[in-house]
Formats: sequence, C-alpha cells, structure tokens
Amino acid sequence: MSQQSLEQRFQGLPATVRQKVDAVIDDAKVALKVRVGELLADKDEVAEHAVTTAGRVGAKSGEVSELTAIMPLKPGGAERLRKFFKLVDGNLAGAGDVGTLHNMRFVFLDGDTKLLFATAYDGEWDPYIDDFATKIPEMMDHLFGNVEGWPGIHSPEVKDFIVQYQLPAEAWFVAHPNLTVAGATRLKRLDRTVQSFLTELN
Amino acid sequence: MSTDHGSVPNLADVQAAVLQPRPTPYAGTYLALRIDDRRQARALVQRMLPMLDSVASFDAERQVSLAIGFSFEGLRAIGVPEDSLATFSPEFQQGMAARAAELGDLGDSSPANWEGPLGSKDLHLMLVGLAPDTPRLEAILLLARDALRDLPGVATIWQQEVFAAPNEREPFGFKDGIGQPAIEGAAIPCTNSREEPLKAGEFLLGFEDETGSIAPVPQPDILGRGGTYAAFRKLHTRVADFRQYLRDRAADRADEELLAAKVVGRWPSGAPLALSPDRDDPELGADPHRNNDFQYGDDPRGLKCPLGSHARRMNPRDAIITGEVRLHRMIRRGTNYGPPLPQGVYEDDGADRGIVFAFIGAHLARQFEFVQAQWVNDGKFIGVPAEKDPLVGANDDGQFTVPRTPIRRRFQGLPPFVVNRGGEYCFLPSLSALRWIADLDT
Ligand code: HEM
Repeated sequence: MSQQSLEQRFQGLPATVRQKVDAVIDDAKVALKVRVGELLADKDEVAEHAVTTAGRVGAKSGEVSELTAIMPLKPGGAERLRKFFKLVDGNLAGAGDVGTLHNMRFVFLDGDTKLLFATAYDGEWDPYIDDFATKIPEMMDHLFGNVEGWPGIHSPEVKDFIVQYQLPAEAWFVAHPNLTVAGATRLKRLDRTVQSFLTELN
Repeated sequence: MSTDHGSVPNLADVQAAVLQPRPTPYAGTYLALRIDDRRQARALVQRMLPMLDSVASFDAERQVSLAIGFSFEGLRAIGVPEDSLATFSPEFQQGMAARAAELGDLGDSSPANWEGPLGSKDLHLMLVGLAPDTPRLEAILLLARDALRDLPGVATIWQQEVFAAPNEREPFGFKDGIGQPAIEGAAIPCTNSREEPLKAGEFLLGFEDETGSIAPVPQPDILGRGGTYAAFRKLHTRVADFRQYLRDRAADRADEELLAAKVVGRWPSGAPLALSPDRDDPELGADPHRNNDFQYGDDPRGLKCPLGSHARRMNPRDAIITGEVRLHRMIRRGTNYGPPLPQGVYEDDGADRGIVFAFIGAHLARQFEFVQAQWVNDGKFIGVPAEKDPLVGANDDGQFTVPRTPIRRRFQGLPPFVVNRGGEYCFLPSLSALRWIADLDT
C-alpha cells in the first residue's frame, strides 16, 4: 500500500485514537501507526482482550492469567533440576491434573543461578493454591525445593514467597481469552461427538 | 500421645453445636451481644460454662443445645491480648463485611444495605440456642437470660427467631439439612457411604487436615485448639420471584416441578435427582440411609442432576471439576426464619423470610470463601464461566443450563433469588478455651 493511502487510512481513524497513537509512537512508521490505531479503534476486539489483574500480582485476559517469577537457585539446584527434566524428557504431563494449567515453562538464567518460571492458567491463582498443592505436592516440592528459601508447598508462607519473586507482565495477549482449559476439553469432546455423528450419517 | 495433644480430637472439649446435628424439627434463637465491660462479659462466660454441652456430653434424647461464638471484635472486647489476636486467620480478623467483594455481597446484598447491627463492630458475642420445640427453647433461653442478670455491661443488640416445620422444608419448599460431610473420629454417623471421612483438621483447629498438614492454630494453644470458625448469614429468599420465574418458563405444572428440582438438585421431599431423576420419591427423600448415599460419577454430563444445580455445585462429590472437592467441604446449620409463603402463591406478600445460614469449618478462606467465590458465584470449575448458582448465586441476568438429550435446555434472565441481609464470622472456642477466656486477667 502506498505511503499516501496509509496516511489517508490513519487520518480516517477517530481523532482521539490518532492523538493517543501520536502521543506515544509519533516516530514510528505510518504502517505501524495504522495497525495500532485500527486495533485501538476496534472496541469489540479491545474489550475481548482487555487486560485486568489476576490477584496480587500478574495480568489476566478474559479468564486466562499469567504468572512469571524469577527465583534464586540453591547451589547445584539447576543441575538437579536438569537431571529431573532429562529423566522425563522435559515432559511434565502430570501437571494436567491441576485442571487449570494452560502451559508452564522452566528456564535457567544467569549461569544456572536463577530459575525463570512462567505459566498461563485459568482464573485466579490465590484461591487454588491449596488445590494445586494437594493434587501434585510432591512434584511442586521436588521442583521448587531447589529454590533458595522455598518454604514447602504446604507452608502458609508459600503464597508470599512466590509473590515476592513474581514479575508482573506489562503486556499480555491470549488468542481466546474466554476459553478455559476445562472449556477446551469440553469443545474437544463436542467436536468428537459431532464428527462421529456426521460419520454415522454418511 | 495423650488425647489432648494427639491427632484425635477430644470430643469432651468441643462445643456440641460444632459437630452434633441440630434437632428436627427445631425452634431456635440467635442472640447478638455487645460487650461494654470485659469483666462482666467474662462473668457471663463463667456462668454459661455449666450450661454448655460438649460433643461427648450432648444428650441425643434431649436435643437441646446452646453455643457461644465470638467475632474478632468480641475477642478483643473481652480482653484477649493483641499478640494472640494477631494469630487468628486474616479473614476472621477482617470480619464478614470487609470481605464483601470476595463473597459477592454486592448490590442489595452489600454491607451498606445490611440490617443493623449486622456488619458493625458492635457485634461481639453470639449465642445460639436450639431445641426440638418452643417450650424447651424457652427453658434454655431462660437460663441464658438468667446468666445475663445484673450484667449491664453486656447488651443484647440483635435477636432472630428461627424454626423448622416437621417436614424440614426451607423457604423455597425443599427439604434441607441432608448433605453433611463425614468426619474422622467425630462419632457421628456418615450418610454417604462412598465419601471417605474427612480429616478432623478440616473442622477443628489443631489437627491434621486434608492437605496433610496442621494449619496454624490461634495462640496460645489452649485458646485455639479444638475450636473452629463459623460464618453466619441472614439470607432473605425471594420465593415468589423464584416461583414466577419457573412458571413463566415451564410447559406445565409438572415441568415447573421438574425445573425447580433441576435448580436445587433434589426434589421437594429431599430425594436426590442422582437417584430419582424423573420424579419425586418421598420414601427415598425420607430415608436417611439412602437420601444422601450417592455419587455423580455415572452422570458426567448432568443428564440426571445438572452440573450447575445448587446441591451438585455445593458438593460435586466424585464428579470431575477443577480443583479438589475435599478441600472445600463444610458443615451446615441452616435454619428458617419468617413465615413460609403458602404453596401455590405466586405474588410476593412482602414478608421477610429466609434462612439463617451457618457454615462451620476450620478454614474460612479455602472452605467458605472459596465456595462462595468459585462454586456459588462462578462456573469455571464445571467449565461454564458464564453461570452462577441458579438458586443462591448473585445472579443478574444469569444463565442456567439443564442438560438433556438430544438438546439441552437453557434458561436466561435469572434474577437473584437470595439476598444477604448481613452476617459475621465467629470463632467457636473449645470448652477449655472458654474457661481460659473467663479467667483472663487483662
Ligand atoms: C437461602 C439460601 C439457601 C437455600 C434455600 C439452600 C437450600 C439447599 C437445599 C434445598 C439443599 C439440598 C438439601 C441438602 O442436601 O441439605 C442444599 C444443600 C447444600 N447447600 Fe444450600 N441453600 C442455601 C444457601 C447455601 C449457601 C450460601 C451455601 C454455601 C456457601 C450452601 C451450601 C450447601 C451445601 C454444602 C449443601 C449440601 C450439598 C451436598 O452435600 O450434597 N447453601 N441447600
């Protein structure tokens, strides 16, 4: 698209949106300004992906929240964790028992002295910490026992401990903000039912 | 290990009302007292101690019980030291009104609209008397009033009469008080043979609970151990609205009854939909050996009992949900207040009627508050984020789904049928803790 027609598209956006975009990214290419401007002007899209807060720390979009924490490892902690992850081929399938976890990852930082833990999960984390701890307590303690000062998953201090290392995301995007893990499971089941129904019809 | 420091609760030290089922039928009174003079309040506790039964001394024939609970402000007013107060659970310290956002107490249910003095800092001591009939209730109340004689520093600021008809129907017309948890070492018959008894620490402070650990006990030990928390709420019921909502959507009278049962999860007689999905079965409803002896595992889609029905939400049993059912169980002591709306009446008569709902459990946050927030006022745990409890949820244009083959029924525009008129969190001390309180010298 020509520079001029992009400029026209930008001018076609509501004045309030143009002002906002100009105030923050005045120096950006007009193509980017158009994209951001059109995004901001799409009220339904903006509303569906609105970012709220997941409780004490962390961002939430629709039903899906993020938790990012960087925690200091005990000496030899990274080595022990690596051994464990290798044993299971990096596969943490049992975590599905929790029922609200979309994904999680473990990354070593700063020459194996720190652990980055990042996860996306449904709803608020605080009320479900006990359920989490009861479903997979051994796994939680085994993994996080390598973190300096880990109080144990059953300790009343565990929430404060995690919050202390949590870094709130400044931006957070979820493709389907209102699709929970349980909802996705239901859709998969529905799809299977519909597919087999259609197959039988044939 | 000796009994009072072991893992088995000493039932001779636990207030009877904590574990003993209430009589049926019953007449009861809630009294709220304000403490203006701590020494007089201690004298009252001292005088009442001989009237209080423990779980062990409770006379199942007499069925009369009196219970004492303290709000956080009440413990402070009677002189429990500040360093001890700081060891109580944070939710209890804040009190129920401060937890309105977590509990969904908004709009008509918000503390600003509560009935005074509920939700104020004046509510210190709660006395609850329950008996099988009015004369016996009068007798215990007489004793309680006598204990209050020449103690002007302890003022009665609120009183609520409660009662049940012999058929035990709650205001919406359904038998109530059936589902209760089984508890390890409680010496109380369990009604669901398929529920493994819950660890005592779920219901009494100082014992191992379902997480495998012992939660922090309010200090000193003598004050906290063997005690527990209660949450009481005066819940007004909009019975005419409930009946009208169903009538407007039902095909006929029988469909109206079916829909109401789908909302509750049981038929009016108490017969569970899980065992009798198509019609009421009064014999089943009346049989205490059978009316709670069931699971939901054979009904994953909720074709018999909807996943969203009140009773199934409040205890999903073996159904697959997000989280662990056993961490969110509760003892309930619901009691009716106000005149029932006669059967067949669809117009509101303006009378105040409802339930004085009482929760008992050792974990306010993960039992009562969790259930209110996640199971009553949310639907994510059963995979329907858009739905709340159809009977007691804070609905505003709410939705309720009744699974059916080939096509589900979906109901929209649900209004709230229950409004909170106010309540408080209380601590129910053990008998030895009450003695400790009576002997305080602060
Ligand atoms: C006015 C308000 C309410 C009414 C009319 C009501 C009515 C009922 C009825 C008819 C039942 C089925 C009979 C039974 O199992 O005892 C029931 C069960 C139950 N309700 Fe409610 N209820 C109310 C509020 C609440 C609230 C606020 C909670 C929790 C926060 C709650 C928790 C329960 C539980 C745990 C059960 C037993 C479920 C089981 O074990 O199967 N109820 N209720």
